[in-house]
Amino acid sequence: MNATTSPVNQYFKALQLDETDSSLSQEILENCGVDIERCLECGKCSGGCSNTHIFDFTPRKIVQMIKIGDEKRLLHMDSLWCCVACHLCVDRCPSGIDIPRIMDYLREKAITKGIPATRPTVELFHNLMLDQVHKKGRVSELYLILNYNLKSRQYLKNAELGPQMFFKGKLNPIPARVKKMDQVRRLFRPKPGQKGEAR
Amino acid sequence: MNVAYFPGCSLHSMSREYDVSTRLVCQHLDINLREIEDWNCCGATAAHSVNHTLAVGLSARNLSIAEEMNLDKVTAVCAGCFSRLKAASHELRNNPHIKAEVEQMLKVTAPVKPEVEHLLQLLVEEIGLEAIREKVVKPLKGLRLAAYYGCLLTRPRQIAQFDDPEQPVSLDNLLKTLGAETVTWGHKAECCGGGYAASDTDIVLDLGGQVLKSARQAGAEAIVVACPMCQGNLDMRQKAMELDFRLPIIYFTQLIGLAFGYKSGQLGINKLFNSPMPLLKSKGLA
Repeated sequence: MNATTSPVNQYFKALQLDETDSSLSQEILENCGVDIERCLECGKCSGGCSNTHIFDFTPRKIVQMIKIGDEKRLLHMDSLWCCVACHLCVDRCPSGIDIPRIMDYLREKAITKGIPATRPTVELFHNLMLDQVHKKGRVSELYLILNYNLKSRQYLKNAELGPQMFFKGKLNPIPARVKKMDQVRRLFRPKPGQKGEAR
Repeated sequence: MNVAYFPGCSLHSMSREYDVSTRLVCQHLDINLREIEDWNCCGATAAHSVNHTLAVGLSARNLSIAEEMNLDKVTAVCAGCFSRLKAASHELRNNPHIKAEVEQMLKVTAPVKPEVEHLLQLLVEEIGLEAIREKVVKPLKGLRLAAYYGCLLTRPRQIAQFDDPEQPVSLDNLLKTLGAETVTWGHKAECCGGGYAASDTDIVLDLGGQVLKSARQAGAEAIVVACPMCQGNLDMRQKAMELDFRLPIIYFTQLIGLAFGYKSGQLGINKLFNSPMPLLKSKGLA
């Protein structure tokens, strides 16, 4: 099989430099305090990565894409939504490049731009959890799971665990509430163009 | 020793046995745990995934209450909460921009004084293994355990500043102090799948399944954990992982309690999904 007839592997697809913008590494430096130019290109981040076998772009590749400013693909990539934030990449990086922080930054930017998550259930779960924090300041696992199943239309997901959890007293039906909720709510900053507190 | 205690949401519902055993063991070691009054959720993992300022702010509020309570040490038993508290503390100390932002939102001076430690670190480094050994009345003789650290207890090293992130030993040493044997295995610091248990279960079945198989291969009779999320992922999903074996997943505080002479019922050992009782009974420990 030669290179022209083999199936296209996204990993090796040529990057279109004319579509890129080199200001992204500066943006990462200013917002995350991470100097991407320190990358030694050793690849230890991807070697250690817990989920590299399901990532569309590995940490090493992500760093390179930041360098050439390939923002569009970075904000649309599936890796944003299946990174387990295990921190192996940053821990093993000889230059201490904080890839989990970069992943969080890019995800936040994608959300702000209204780019849909490649794994909608993951984004839904984040939002439902933060809704609870916004309402009560704490998370009730029982109501979070029930609400998640309802909203993701997976009504019987994890239902087999329910009875055992109930009989072992692991489900607390009375949700706790923080008293000084005004303080907690002020942390939820408004979205651009929105009034009051929101995400 | 007075220590601010951050239990976190799981310890008030799904992982109550971890809370109960933590309090018993600390009381036994003269550690006065003072629960942070009116604490809020640390936000893991949703907050840091979608809103950095919110993530730092949520933990900053908890730290500021601890500071108000005049406590300069904060302990958490969930590796996720520990990591968020410690990362926030690091940000507040090193990032003036976010410090100012959080101060403005919370209307408090940013808490930079309290030191955050996971309970395991507190026990191993401050109380010390010798002091713990002195209290052991029922050594865990004959138990072959896999000490599981997971991700956030030791990583990233710049933040966690505890143990060795590649080859951690603190929990192994503690379990040996209690009289148990620990196995050498490859997955002690690998990820269990973290916060994806509900939202992308396949990730947990994959990563958690590898951890379980590795422990089994090394000959462990149970896995010992120091995080409610690791416990849930490894304990409750074994059927879905379609494994041909079952392994009990026990909190380290429960085992300390057993060695200190408490009954399994007092430590909530009956609340674990895959019961360790047959194993403990076979060694004369319950």
